[in-house]
Amino acid sequence: MIRFQGLTKRYGSLTAVRDLTLEVRPGEVYALLGPNGAGKTTALRCLATLLQPTEGTASVSGADALHNPLEVRRRIAFLAASMGLYERLTARELVEYFGRLHGLDGEHLQARVDELVALFGLGEFRNRVCGRLSTGQRQRVSLARALVHDPEALILDEPTLGLDVLSGQTIYDFISWERSRKKAILFSTHQMEEVELLADRVGVLRRGELVAEGTPEDLLERTGEPNLARAFLSLVSENAPVEAT
Amino acid sequence: MSPWWIVFKKEIRETLRDRRTLQMMIAVPVLLYPVILIASEQILLFGRRSLEAERQPVAVLGEAPPDLMRLIEARERIRVVTLEGGEERAIDAIRQDSLAAAVVLGPPAAEDQTRQAMILFDAISDRSTRGRRELATAMDQWADTLLAQRLGERGLPASFARPVAVADSSVARPEEVGGYTLGRILPLLLVVITLLGTFYPAIDLAAGEKERGTLETLLTAPVPPASVVAGKFVTVALIGVLAAALNLGSMLMTFQTGVLQFVGSFGLDFQIPLSAVVIIFATLVPLAVLFGAVCLGIAVHSSSFKEAQNALTPVYMLVLLPAMLPMFPGIDFKPSLALVPVAGVSFLFRDLMAGDADFVLGTLVLLSTVTYAAMALVFAAGAFGSEDVLFGASGDDAEVSTESLWTRVRKRSFRHRTPTVRAALTFVVAVAVLFFWMGVTLQVRYRELGVLLSEILLLLIPALVFVRLGGYAARETLSLRLPTGRAVGGALLMALGATPLAWGIGWIQSFFLPIPWEMLEGFEQLLTAETTTRLLWLILLLAVTPAICEEFVFRGVLLGGTRSMKTWQFVLLNGAIFGAFHLSFETVIRFLPTAWLGIVISWTVWRTRSLWAGSLMHLINNGSIVLLGTSPALKEKFSDPNTPLPVWIFPLAGLSLWAGTRVLSKLRPARGAEDLAALWKEG
Ligand SMILES: Nc1ncnc2c1ncn2[C@@H]1O[C@H](COP(=O)(O)OP(=O)(O)OP(=O)(O)O)[C@@H](O)[C@H]1O
Ligand SMILES: [Mg+2]
Repeated sequence: MIRFQGLTKRYGSLTAVRDLTLEVRPGEVYALLGPNGAGKTTALRCLATLLQPTEGTASVSGADALHNPLEVRRRIAFLAASMGLYERLTARELVEYFGRLHGLDGEHLQARVDELVALFGLGEFRNRVCGRLSTGQRQRVSLARALVHDPEALILDEPTLGLDVLSGQTIYDFISWERSRKKAILFSTHQMEEVELLADRVGVLRRGELVAEGTPEDLLERTGEPNLARAFLSLVSENAPVEAT
Repeated sequence: MSPWWIVFKKEIRETLRDRRTLQMMIAVPVLLYPVILIASEQILLFGRRSLEAERQPVAVLGEAPPDLMRLIEARERIRVVTLEGGEERAIDAIRQDSLAAAVVLGPPAAEDQTRQAMILFDAISDRSTRGRRELATAMDQWADTLLAQRLGERGLPASFARPVAVADSSVARPEEVGGYTLGRILPLLLVVITLLGTFYPAIDLAAGEKERGTLETLLTAPVPPASVVAGKFVTVALIGVLAAALNLGSMLMTFQTGVLQFVGSFGLDFQIPLSAVVIIFATLVPLAVLFGAVCLGIAVHSSSFKEAQNALTPVYMLVLLPAMLPMFPGIDFKPSLALVPVAGVSFLFRDLMAGDADFVLGTLVLLSTVTYAAMALVFAAGAFGSEDVLFGASGDDAEVSTESLWTRVRKRSFRHRTPTVRAALTFVVAVAVLFFWMGVTLQVRYRELGVLLSEILLLLIPALVFVRLGGYAARETLSLRLPTGRAVGGALLMALGATPLAWGIGWIQSFFLPIPWEMLEGFEQLLTAETTTRLLWLILLLAVTPAICEEFVFRGVLLGGTRSMKTWQFVLLNGAIFGAFHLSFETVIRFLPTAWLGIVISWTVWRTRSLWAGSLMHLINNGSIVLLGTSPALKEKFSDPNTPLPVWIFPLAGLSLWAGTRVLSKLRPARGAEDLAALWKEG
């Protein structure tokens, strides 16, 4: 499904991601964990065809991000941390726009948009342009926008950034629901409770390198720490040994 | 639905919701003309009224017969004042503006003789010329009555003294006169408004989209980048066309229909024929496309609105200059100008408005603009889609300093010992604009002294100030080292070769481009030297001064800033800019010869690393022209338009040039700015 194979991304002399290999299967939620600047966003952008890998590959169901970007884009929903929304469009116009870009049209498009409006409660700010929405509202619009073509893989960069508990819960519910629909879900975060609640597997990035990978239980066991937060800290601290995975 | 159309529809919808774009697109173009018209009319009326309201004081010196006094006093715009103390006193009074003009009458003439009279006035004062005109009319009337008297005494009819009566009548139709005046300003406005129409949407759709993070989401949709560019680009171009159309419409409404009744009081009748309106609009479309593509292509490289605005400012300058060309008198619209981007359009508009456009030139302008637009489109399409464009420059360039602007400016200047290409070009454009406006004023006002002043004040001093304020290393930037003996020899050989070849280029060119003889005659008048002092002054003025002042700008700052480019690039660029600089305020024919000299001189200065070598060459070239122009014997031989230059000179010149390049190739040329910056970092 989602696959990174030896992916390396360099910006000039800085290596943001080094030799990353991981896989997310259908129906699985994979959390990419790492401190600020670890290279999470960079890795996800390579998969989302926004950046070109320096070495290695990223692919979705066999479609390669570098050589077949349009096909990859059809198969993924990408939620960027910046939640870029067109400030002068309403939520509905925005979702419709992306629906059209994904080739939906006519009744089909309208039905899908209605569905998403209901799912994310976008009806309550029907006539407001996106520039005037609150962070939580924007995040809901962004999700609806990303999912308009109901793709098989979800790539979410810090989906709960800046959200309150309630809005965060909406996202968790939504992720669980998509998992039950056999989607492959890859998300980045630095929040432990998210990982505990949702993730089937966790990958820990430190300075662009995957230093540990496994189920949350695996990580606790491996580090001998009582909880995930401590486990994470010990894995990413500067003098921790890099573990072969 | 094809993707570009989806993108386009959305962009249009969003753009029409943006107040800033709407202002630029609708409010400014529509309101511009009424505002200009009302304002200029007020100024004109005000000026005229204040001049007319007051009668100009004039004096009559000498023994004036009563009938002459009656005629003078009958003129409504002057009043006679009495003045003690004769001619000297009158001259003083006129200089001090307390007197407009004075007529000095000679002693009464004997019968049938001519009586002498002189009118004193100040040619550069409006009041004074007005007073002179009135006095002259009165004097003419008086002379007529005297003549009629004398004829009557001999029994001859008044027509006896006027065997032929000549009345002149301008063949320019009234709409031509109106179009001529307005036609000088309006093309500029049409071009600039079209540019402004594309400016903001381009920034908004490219840099704005990046600033808000939406480009990232847009490019995760399965649309080829080309469709995104196409959709955006069509939006920008359409808005540009719309702005241009509204602008044209507003212009026609203001000047052509009776909506605003001011036109009459201007004394001009401005009519643009419908066919001209159609052609103007048809030309504005590819122009908007050209501007849209250029703006979009540049704006995508910026990551914020502000940054894009800065990046696009030079574009604005580069458009302004050629668009302004038709405003200068004496530049005729020629095929070579039709091919210059923007300038061709501006000239075509001028001629269309004056009602005498040329079909061939019009076609040429349309075709060349379409070609440039297509090229710009390819450039814009190439600009999108690369990842640098998406997330800003990658790698070490991505480091942005957080220090204060001032610290950065200073540090930067230490890092850059020579100006960047962009800084150097911006400087030269600024200097050119300055020279355009102030230089012409100075030269009109102070004539030859003005030429000297403008070279020093508007070229040399700005170049020195630029280097000082920028904190650049003057010696390196301006190539200030003294030339070695070999360098001087090489430069001499180059000059002896390049100068005759420049004449040759001018001569060959004269088969295609007519030489404006009026201009040459003016030049010849300037170049008359009866005395040795005068000759020395001319050499100082026309050879020594440019050889220093112009060299500091073109082979100093410009060359110093562009040396980091490839050699052929900066040498050609230097020639082109040097040529264009001379083109701008004289005529087209000077472009090629001057550009050629610019190329040779910049190459020599680069090889010798000495600006003085360039000065020497410049001096030889200009000096030879002065000598040629002032010495009648030489002039006979060389400047008769019908005989070619002596052909034997060309192989010799070529040989000299070849020898010069051999000599100079042995020298180690100046290094590019980048290498120097690297050296500095290491050191
Ligand atoms: N366009 C760029 N050019 C140069 N360096 C970059 C660029 N984008 C990111 N980087 C650098 O690459 C490294 C990884 O950045 P990335 O955004 O992938 O981290 P992250 O794990 O997403 O961090 P965060 O948790 O703060 O979002 C950082 O050191 C960052 O400064
Ligand atoms: Mg990130």
